[in-house]
Formats: sequence, structure tokens, C-alpha cells
Amino acid sequence: MRAVAISALCVSLAIMGFGQNPRYQQDPEWRAPTEAASRENPLASKPELAAGGKKLFVRNCVECHGREGTGMESKHSADLQLPIVQEESDGTLFWKITNGNAKHGMPSFSKLPELQRWQVVLYIRTLKPLPPESSIRTNNHKGHEVPRRNSFVILCVLRG
Amino acid sequence: MIRLVTLSFWLACLCATAAAQESPFFVTYTHYMEEPGNLDLEVSTTNGIPRSGQQAYIAPYMEFEYGVTARWTSEIYLEGQSTIGDSSVFTGWRWENRYKLFAREHRINPVLYLEYENVNEASRIQKEIEGGGADLVSSNSVLNGPRSHELEGKLILSSNYRDWNIAENFTLAKNFSESEGIEFGYAFGVSRPLSSLASANECRFCRENFAVGAEVYGGLGSTLDFGPHGAAHYFAPVLSWTVSDNSTLRISPGVGLTPEASPVLIRFGLTYEVRGFGERVSRLLGRRP
Repeated sequence: MRAVAISALCVSLAIMGFGQNPRYQQDPEWRAPTEAASRENPLASKPELAAGGKKLFVRNCVECHGREGTGMESKHSADLQLPIVQEESDGTLFWKITNGNAKHGMPSFSKLPELQRWQVVLYIRTLKPLPPESSIRTNNHKGHEVPRRNSFVILCVLRG
Repeated sequence: MIRLVTLSFWLACLCATAAAQESPFFVTYTHYMEEPGNLDLEVSTTNGIPRSGQQAYIAPYMEFEYGVTARWTSEIYLEGQSTIGDSSVFTGWRWENRYKLFAREHRINPVLYLEYENVNEASRIQKEIEGGGADLVSSNSVLNGPRSHELEGKLILSSNYRDWNIAENFTLAKNFSESEGIEFGYAFGVSRPLSSLASANECRFCRENFAVGAEVYGGLGSTLDFGPHGAAHYFAPVLSWTVSDNSTLRISPGVGLTPEASPVLIRFGLTYEVRGFGERVSRLLGRRP
């Protein structure tokens, strides 16, 4: 019975894992103009507004980027936790939300008021980037150190 | 009539199960496209309060709006009409396509619109006014004849300025079943959300869930008799309420500005967004989305 439960857990975690898009590569042509990239977030001094950004994120972005913002391989959507996304300027993120990338299925969200788009940028900043997997280690139930994101795979191997 | 309008409003509400931030306009199109793979189901009614010699009517219609790509939206309409003291008729269907010309946002964002209409003269949904406008006087037995083939094109120009959206639509339509020449129409609209910022808490009645605006639309005659005279023109305030993450309710009490228009035109619309519809269908068909 325990083995069945662990197998079920492994399968569901594996499905969740495959839903992510850690191999996301940015479209080299999708670049914000310098002027847009250098814009500063007018809400930067009000981090509490990120909560509203989260609400907007759930309403508009989760479908493609997932609740944790990790993206989906099936939709080729960005893992927003990745350093290549988090290292972008606020202005760049704002520009990308505003214009979308029609070629790759990302719609424009210019229908949201400007300040709401800045709120979404604030929220994206709270999706902390994960350092390289090898450097993030956590303990499984036996105290073995495993990489955080793929801990379920290791657990399955250990159990299997 | 008031009872019928109230009934159609509550019918629209009953259809609600669940918000997409929809444009509050009923007639004016903006450059906002449906998100790719999403399907919007919309139930709307156009309710006309009559002048003397006219009958009140309710013209319900259903829209199926699908985001084919981030720049191309396609819609199917099914429409009918019920006139008080007369009859209820199915007036036809329409298939419209909108294509956003530029991939990026600009000061003015042009969208091309092409629609095929298979409707008869009894149609009163008045999603656009072209030529002189709908015949609001003749009975359904006269109007409910064979459906005509009509092609309609629009140039949609839409801009965002601060939180305001300003949109202008220029329409031309050619009825291939009648020799009416090419008919023209227009629609202008401005709208804005009630709040620029989103509040942190989940709420149905937060200001950011509401958008208000106004639109003006009407006919401009045809190549046979061009001009705004002798055509229906309306001014209509609009209000949209994002009820939940998937549904939006819209209301517009319009006022007819010319004798050819209904003195009051009340519209209700309820939109429910089915997210990831295209992906689900692809999965059902065993295809990779």
C-alpha cells in the first residue's frame, strides 16, 4: 500500500515537473528598445503592491506560465524564475508584457492599465531565481541531500 | 417592455457560471485580440424600445470568439429576433475575422476586419450600423425572407493614452444579394477602467473590475446616397464588470439620435472565457497542441 502511494506521488510530481520549462530559451529577436528597457518601475518603492500584481498574474498569466511562474514546456512559455528572465530590467519586463511576442504565442497585455502592468512586474520580481541546481540542496525524508527542484526524481530512484 | 428587458438581463446573468478584462464596447472594436487558444462564449441581447408606430424587440445573439493566434481572432455569431406582438425568428449567422497588422504596440494600432454575413432583413442585433440602419417598422413576415450574402470590411484604429482606450471603426459593406451599392458606417468609442491599480484582495466589486466609457455609432449611407442623413445614429454609455476570472458582464443603455433609430437601445452581454480551449481540443483529437 505504501509503495503504491509513493509511486502515485512520484508520478504526480513527475507530471508537475514535466510541466515546467527549465530549458526555456529566449527569442533573440524579442528585445526591448533601449529607451523602453531603461524605464524604471514607478511602483518600485511600493513593494506591497506586488500582492495586486499576483492577482493579475493569476488572472492573466498562469494559464501559460503556471502558478509558480515556472513556464510550461508544452506552451514554450518562459520559466520566470530563471536568471535570464530575472536579470532583465523592469523596463524590459514591462515592455514584453505590453507588446507580447505574437510569433511565439505570447499575447499583448496592453489592455491592462499601465500601473497594473507595473504591478505584474513587481510580482514577477518576487519569483526568486533558482541558483544552478547543483548548488541548491535540500534533505529528503532520510536526510539525503538532493537538488531541490528534482528531489522527486531522486526520491523515485531511491524508492525504485 | 421593461419586464422583457429585465427578463433578458436576468437570463444573461443566469448563464453566468464564472474574468477576462473585456472591452466594454458592444459595437466599437479595439485592437485587443482574444488570447491564442482561448474561446469566449458570449450571450448578448439588443433590446429596442420603440417609437410610435414601431414595435419593441429583443434581438439575442451568441458569439463564439476564438484566438487563432496572438494577432488573429475569429468569431461566429448566431442571431435571432423577437418582436412584441409579432413573432420570433432566427435571422442568420456571421463569421468575422480580425487581424492585428502590427506585432508591437504603437500610438495607433490598426486592425483589419473581414466578415461574411448570412442574415436576413429581420436582423436587429445592430452590431454595426451600415447604410441607413435596420428596418424597425416592417413586420417579421415581410422581413423574414431569404438570407442575403453580405461581405463587410472594417478598418479598426485603436490607441491607448494613459488608461484610456480610444477606438475608431470605419465600416463598408457589400450585399451581394441586393443592389444597394456599398454601404458605410462608423463607430467611435472611449473607455477606461475605474482604477489603475489592482487591489491585493480578491473581490467582485473592486473598482478595477469595472470599466466605463461611451460609444457613438451610426450609418453613413451608401454609394447611392452617401452621408449621415436618413440613417440611424446612437450614443451609448457602456459599463463592463469583470465578475470573476472568466466572466464579464456588460451593459449599455443607448440613445437614438435620429428618427431612424430606436429612441432607447439597451444592450446586455455576458462573456465566459474558456481558457486553453484549443489545447483541449488538440488533446482530444490526439494531436500535440
